[in-house]
Amino acid sequence: MIQISGLVKQYGFNPVLRGVNLHVSKGAFVTLVGPNGAGKSTLMRIVATLLKPTAGEVKIGGWLMPQYSDRVRRHIGLVSHQTLLYGDLTAAENLLFFAKLYRLDHSADRVAQALKRVGLAARERDAVRTFSRGMMQRLTIARATLHEPDVLLLDEPYTGLDQDASALLDSLLKRESENGRTILMITHDLVHGLNLCDRVAILSRGKIVQEIANGEVSGSEFLDIYAAQTGRTVGMANKAHE
Amino acid sequence: MRHKQGGRSAWQTRRMNKLAQSTPSTSLRDNPFLTAVWAIVWKDLQIEKHTRQTVSVMVMFSLVTVVMFNFALETELDAARNVATGLLWATILLAGTLGLNRSLAIERENQNIDAILIAPIDRRAIYLAKVISVTIFTLLLELVLVFVFIIFFDKPFWRPIVLLVLFLGTVGYVAAGVLITSMTMQTRSKEVLLPILLLPLVLPLILPAATAVGESMVVAPEASIIRSMVSLVAAYDLAILASGLFTYHLVVES
Repeated sequence: MIQISGLVKQYGFNPVLRGVNLHVSKGAFVTLVGPNGAGKSTLMRIVATLLKPTAGEVKIGGWLMPQYSDRVRRHIGLVSHQTLLYGDLTAAENLLFFAKLYRLDHSADRVAQALKRVGLAARERDAVRTFSRGMMQRLTIARATLHEPDVLLLDEPYTGLDQDASALLDSLLKRESENGRTILMITHDLVHGLNLCDRVAILSRGKIVQEIANGEVSGSEFLDIYAAQTGRTVGMANKAHE
Repeated sequence: MRHKQGGRSAWQTRRMNKLAQSTPSTSLRDNPFLTAVWAIVWKDLQIEKHTRQTVSVMVMFSLVTVVMFNFALETELDAARNVATGLLWATILLAGTLGLNRSLAIERENQNIDAILIAPIDRRAIYLAKVISVTIFTLLLELVLVFVFIIFFDKPFWRPIVLLVLFLGTVGYVAAGVLITSMTMQTRSKEVLLPILLLPLVLPLILPAATAVGESMVVAPEASIIRSMVSLVAAYDLAILASGLFTYHLVVES
């Protein structure tokens, strides 16, 4: 579903991605981990059609980007660490706006169902800026999946969430994965990254340095591999969880 | 904040349906470009309806400016009347930058522009929608300003030709402003850069517009001067709108 080959992105003379190769098959859940500055967000922005690569190929559903970005966009949903929601609109108005942008039929019903799915039906008429971070992230998932995209891109979705909100997000993502959506997630949170996905890819210094299938190694072994590949020790929270 | 109080009910469902159906007609819904334009304009109007921040700030700023100028020129009433046309345009230009900044700030907040850019819509629709919404806000400001100028300067700003020139001038100014604001959106000193880049760009628009308004208010207006000035303003509008529509995708994707 997502095919990335020899992807290079340079800002001036500064290379951020140095030939990334990654394949995410249909319905798979792949987590991309890596230290700060590894190029994770840049990679995500290219896959989300928000940035153009300097060289290399990105194909989604067989469509080459950026040439066919317009065709691909309908099939992509993006959840970012930024909510991409309008704080001054209500939850329902936010979703209705995106329903209009995607020209969805029966938008009112879809919005009502989406709000119910993420447990926000009772707050549909509340301004989004009054929501907690966890509620905003649930609404973000509702926004990103409103048009039933085939591919869901998640950029640090756990940022700023407490344990309860993270657990709720886990269950929402699990449901999306079970529904057959192809998911590519980048995260610092190795614990959540490992628990949910089929495969983890480690991005370091602009390259995928290792891919590991879920269950192939134990949690502690993975942390050792991560440290060896990136030259960084993992966060205390991840270690403590282990 | 709950925008309206009340429990969940059939009324609530009806309201949601009403909001959903606020895309006007079937023919509009069939046109992806116009649907996207309408969706963004609808969103901007909804935000303004809830916050009332853009128009009110522009109006307050304009009133303060006009009152200050009125006091400054009070001793020379005739002089004040003579500069009224220029003062009107200067006030619109300065207040307009506030509206433009606010309109694009909405898209910068939470990086909302990304959500619009990954939607399957034509980039030109974003440009046109922003021009329409900021034009609506600026025209509302001008409605207030025309009354204020009639009271303070005792000049016939209500004449249809004056209102037409104000409308055309606003469209051109906002069309240029949205383009420049989008270009400077990701820069650090965007608030400073906007007037520095925009005001020289709209000079060819403001000069004929001010001349046309000034000429319209004299006792025996010269129709040929007004006609040629209005033509210049209209030509500027077409040129800047065309430039915006053709280049906006480069601006937002760079």
